[in-house]
Parts: sequence; C-alpha cells; structure tokens
Amino acid sequence: MARILKNRLLFLTGRTTIQLLLLSVVFLFAPAEGAAQRRFSKTYPASPVVRLTLTNRSGTVTVEGWDRPEVQVQAYLEAPAANVNPLMVDGILFINIVKDNYGRADIGNVNFNIRVPADAAVDIETKIGNLNVSSVRGALVRAKISSDGDITLTNINAQRVMAENGIGNIFFDGDIRANGIYRFTSMRGDINLRVPFNSSFKLIATAPSTRSINLGSFANGNMRFVGDGRRVTGQVGDGSSTLTVTNQRGSIAFIRR
Amino acid sequence: MEHGTKNLDGSFLKMNCEDCQQNISPHLDGELDEVSSASIRTHLSVCAPCAKLYEDFAVILESCRDGAPSEIIPPNSQALWCRINNLIESELSQEPPIEAPRKTWLSRGWNLTFSQATAGVLAIAFISSLLTVVGIRNYFEPSGEDFTSRSDTSQTTLEKILSKVGLVETPQQARERRMKEQQAAIDYWTKRVSERRNQWDAKMRDAFDRNLNLIDESVSEYTTILQQNPDDDLTGEMLDTVLNDKMDLLREFSDL
Repeated sequence: MARILKNRLLFLTGRTTIQLLLLSVVFLFAPAEGAAQRRFSKTYPASPVVRLTLTNRSGTVTVEGWDRPEVQVQAYLEAPAANVNPLMVDGILFINIVKDNYGRADIGNVNFNIRVPADAAVDIETKIGNLNVSSVRGALVRAKISSDGDITLTNINAQRVMAENGIGNIFFDGDIRANGIYRFTSMRGDINLRVPFNSSFKLIATAPSTRSINLGSFANGNMRFVGDGRRVTGQVGDGSSTLTVTNQRGSIAFIRR
Repeated sequence: MEHGTKNLDGSFLKMNCEDCQQNISPHLDGELDEVSSASIRTHLSVCAPCAKLYEDFAVILESCRDGAPSEIIPPNSQALWCRINNLIESELSQEPPIEAPRKTWLSRGWNLTFSQATAGVLAIAFISSLLTVVGIRNYFEPSGEDFTSRSDTSQTTLEKILSKVGLVETPQQARERRMKEQQAAIDYWTKRVSERRNQWDAKMRDAFDRNLNLIDESVSEYTTILQQNPDDDLTGEMLDTVLNDKMDLLREFSDL
C-alpha cells in the first residue's frame, strides 16, 4: 500500500514539474508578445473642417473619413515603442512622431489608423511606409513619403491634392474639382490616376526616362507631346484645374472612372 | 506663397505666408478678431510650411502652460511700472537739448559745380534706362517658365540682346548659378546627415541610400544629356527638380 502511495506521489510530483515548466514557458513568452506591440487610442472632439497634420517616422498610416465630428486616433506601436503625444490646438490635430522621439535611435514602426470628419484637411507624411487616405472631401489632402512607400488615395474629393514619394506607386481615385490643384510626383514607381471622364483640367505629365504616359480615354486633339514624348501638355474640358504629374523613372496612366 | 481658398459663402480668402507668419503669435494669444483668425485658419489648412511653424509655436505655448511659472512676479506690479516710468522721465529730462539743424537739405541752395550737375544728370539717365530695360524684360518674359530651366532657343530677342551685352544672364549662366546654390545646400545637408546616420537603424539607412542613389543616377543622366545638348529645356527642368528632391531627402533625414 505504502509503495503504491509512493509511486503515485512520484507521478504527481513529475506531472506538477511538467506543468510548472509549461507555465514558465508561457510566462516567458507572454510578456514578450505584449511588449512587441503596444496600442495607443484616443478620440478628440473636432469641428467638421479639422486639420490633421501627421509626421511619422516609419510604418503605415491609414486615414479614413467618417460622418462623426471627432477624430479617432489608433496607433499600433512596434517595439521599441515610440512616444506618441498628439496635440490638438485651435482645430488642428498635430501628431509628430519625429519630434516626439528626437534623439532616439531605437524606434519601432508606428502604424496609424485614424478616422477624421469627411470634410477634414489631411496632411500626412512619413520617412518610410505606406500612406492610405480614403473618403475625404476637405480642402486639402497631402501625402508625402520621403523614401520608400506606396500612396493610395481613394474616394477623394478635395480642392488641393498632393502626393509625393521616392520609390513606390501612387494611386489616386477621386474627383477633380473646378479650380483645384493636383500634383503627383514620384522618383520610381507607377502613377495611376482614376478620375471621372467629365473632369476638366490643364495637364502637364512628364515621364522623362520611360516616356510611358498613357492618357487612356483622356487623349484628345488638345494634347501635345513635347520633348520626344517625355512630356504631355494639354487641356481636358474647360481646364479650370491644374494637374501636374511627374514620374522620373516610372509610368503615368489615366484610367476613366 | 499665396493661397486662395474658397470660403463657405463662395468668396476667396487670400493670405500670403508672410502675413500669416506675422499673425500666428497674436492669433494663438487670442488677440485677433474673428475674421483675421478665420483667414489664418484657412491659410493653415492649405499651407504646410505655415502649419509647421504654427505647430512649433503651439508646442512652445503648450509647454509654457504646462510648466510651473519660473519668473518672479512683483508683489505690486502697478507700483513697479510707476517707478520705471518715473525713472525714464527723469532720464529724459536730464538729456541735453538737441541742437536744431542749421540748414535743411531743401533750404540749402543748389550751388552745384558743372561736373556735379553732369554726374547727377547721367546717374538719373542711367537709372531710368535700367528701370525701363527691366520693365520691358519682365513684360516680354514668357510666363509660367522658370528662367533657370530655359535654353537659348526659348529666349526672346530682347533677352538675347541683353544677355549679349551682359545686362542679363543667359539661361546657361542662370542654370549654373542655380546649380551652385543647390550644391551648396546639398553639401550642408550631407554633412548634417553624415553626423546623424550612424544612429539610424539598418532599414532606415537602406531606404535612404536606395533613394539617394536613384536621385544621383538621374542627376548624372540629366547632366550628361545637358552636356550634349545645352538647349534641352526639359532636361534642365528635370535636373533642377531632382536636385531639389535630393535637398529635400537630405533635409528630411537630417532630423532623425
């Protein structure tokens, strides 16, 4: 009887040891998982024409227009986590990751998901990473990537639109407003512009290296190829807006919406 | 830079950067009327450089509000101001009276020698000719083009004549001058970047190098084309653009 009890005790001790080992493994990795990505979330009451000014260092920024008078900022901070200190002053929401972390070399990506009132002005830039803006119809949409990254602007109806990147694609799907200013610039990548067929604009499209400028349905008798096909200038409709597209080493294409 | 943006009532609110930057501080202090404040807000919504300046001001103001007051507030500020005022008044009363000018410039007689009068007439004639030349030049200059990126073929006849006699720069001279200025800025930012880049992570360094190499390839390509064909306007313009891109890239990475 005593032998049976001893064996059982030994068995239980062994099982407990294994359980403890398993638990330690779980605890060892669980905090690491938690520290790998932290989350920042805050909502700001805002006027419908609020301006968002965001300067990121690296990571993806997604801005989406919605029908609420508030700005919702969600940031996912990869380790080592950056400092995020948004500042709302006089109807402008400033988020500057570069300034907030000046002097810090060890910063992980900061991935933003931001919702703004649909009439907001959006001005975002980053050193590396993708920028996405959708469903915004404010005075301005500006997206700039200093080096690598794609810019995707969809369902945009803004008076001034500027998109600029180094290496990466630019895609714009939106309206061309009367008297608007639209500028798309890339060093290398594809620039694709999807605009309504009844749009009116003066065009200067330049692709000096590839000479790949595809006007699609917007080709007309008012268009003129200059510089051995490196540039196309001309007018579509009454030409009240200006559309300037420059792609140093990539293609430019227009798609009818 | 001047931005015209449509107001809610359809009218245009126009404000240039200089006006906006002068009024940012009073605006933040709440010293401006509603119309001026609205103009500033409108300008800020479309002008990135002014918005950046505004952000800097706002951050400073915010940090001042957050921090404890560091200056010593006098116990009776009104009494202190009275004392300062009395001090200034007493110093002013001690100052010697300023001597009245004996003769004003106009009251002096026009006692000019013949050579002085001739020199004066010649100077007036030269200045008016110069103003006329500049005025005509501006009138004939094609609009919408940057003078630095133009070639001899796109020059007006008047410009050609003026550049021959050395009164205005040729497009090549203008381009060279512009490139020198750009190169000086690039050298400055390159130095700043080289001081900082050892603190970047590998991903940041790779992206920076990749983009810089791409720009340098374009610079080299356009320079070669321009050496073969100095009259290629488009290449001149593209060279100017990529040099600006290079400056921007260096400047933007120098603050990391």
